[in-house]
Amino acid sequence: MSTASPVMSVMLEGEVVNASPSRAQLQTLVATLSEALKSGDEAALLAGLDGLVRHREQALFEQLRRLTGDLQAALERFSVDSRLVDLAEKEVPDAHHRLAHVLELTDQAAHRTMDLVERCGPLAERTARAVGELREPWQLFRERRIEPAQFRQLLAKLDGFLLDAGSDMEAVRANLSEVLLAQGYQDLSGQIIRSVMTLVTELEAALVNLVRLSRNEHAAVATQDSQRGCGPAVPGIDAGPAVADQQDVDALLSGLGM
Amino acid sequence: MSKDLKFLVVDDFSTMRRIIKNLLNDLGYANVTEADDGQSALPLLKAGDFDFLVTDWNMPGMPGLELLKQVRADARLAKLPVLMLTAEAKREQIIEAAQAGVSGYVIKPFTAATLKEKIDKILQTRDSAA
Repeated sequence: MSTASPVMSVMLEGEVVNASPSRAQLQTLVATLSEALKSGDEAALLAGLDGLVRHREQALFEQLRRLTGDLQAALERFSVDSRLVDLAEKEVPDAHHRLAHVLELTDQAAHRTMDLVERCGPLAERTARAVGELREPWQLFRERRIEPAQFRQLLAKLDGFLLDAGSDMEAVRANLSEVLLAQGYQDLSGQIIRSVMTLVTELEAALVNLVRLSRNEHAAVATQDSQRGCGPAVPGIDAGPAVADQQDVDALLSGLGM
Repeated sequence: MSKDLKFLVVDDFSTMRRIIKNLLNDLGYANVTEADDGQSALPLLKAGDFDFLVTDWNMPGMPGLELLKQVRADARLAKLPVLMLTAEAKREQIIEAAQAGVSGYVIKPFTAATLKEKIDKILQTRDSAA
């Protein structure tokens, strides 16, 4: 496992680091001990031995403290890693499918709406055309200048118009209420988008943790390739020199001599 | 002005293609072909005798700017009117498109009136140059 080697190296490093400052101390302790041994001072000998043991324990505790710290960091890194693996292997592809479904929903709704609008168009046109055809004979009738034959024609046309306009407008009304229903995609896609937003937030937190643990201060700055296009500007995110509307575009292009 | 012009509409979203096609039909242009990105558009352009190209910018495969560059680099297509119809609104991008030889630039969301105005203007310029 990759975490074993840093811990080992820190341990070895710890021994080296601990050994050097205490060398003088140790020499003093050993000198005192041999002095006590020579002179047969038992109390001084025991005190010297105690000092040696205490010194050894101190170094051991120091190493243990470091080791515990490293182990804790390694465990923390491991838990971030495994969460990231989970996110990368399962939840991100899931989110991908969810967003693909949103695309499909919006696509279906847009086409459904356009179908219905296209169905309404000819109905409205037919009504408008019939009104246009009725206007002249109706005017003659109102001015009492209509011929009997024209009058009979007007009546027949009116009969047809009342029938057609009634059913056409009923169909338009039904289409319009279906257009309204088709907007239900917003609710469904909104819920899916919200769940993906939650995932993105979690992914962001996991990545921030990972960066903190690996202490990578040279994180690359993401650059966007304007050649490929960036899509619609999102308010509050896509700052920078962008045009506000078509007038701005026209002004910019005419400034370039177009 | 001749209304039997042959249009190619390039956009990765079928809904947008349909909107543009309907608007073109309303303007009297009945001969409209669709493609979903630059990669599928380019062979169509090279094979067919299109009079007008309307293209989005941000598309998978080959984006609109690359398509524009390829069109301008092709001797037979170099003079084809190209209208960019896109949500890309950065000043540097519009300048880049102009430098690549775009004939007109309309940003989304757009109106039927704007589309008509730009097409008319491009065709006028083309006819007066011819």
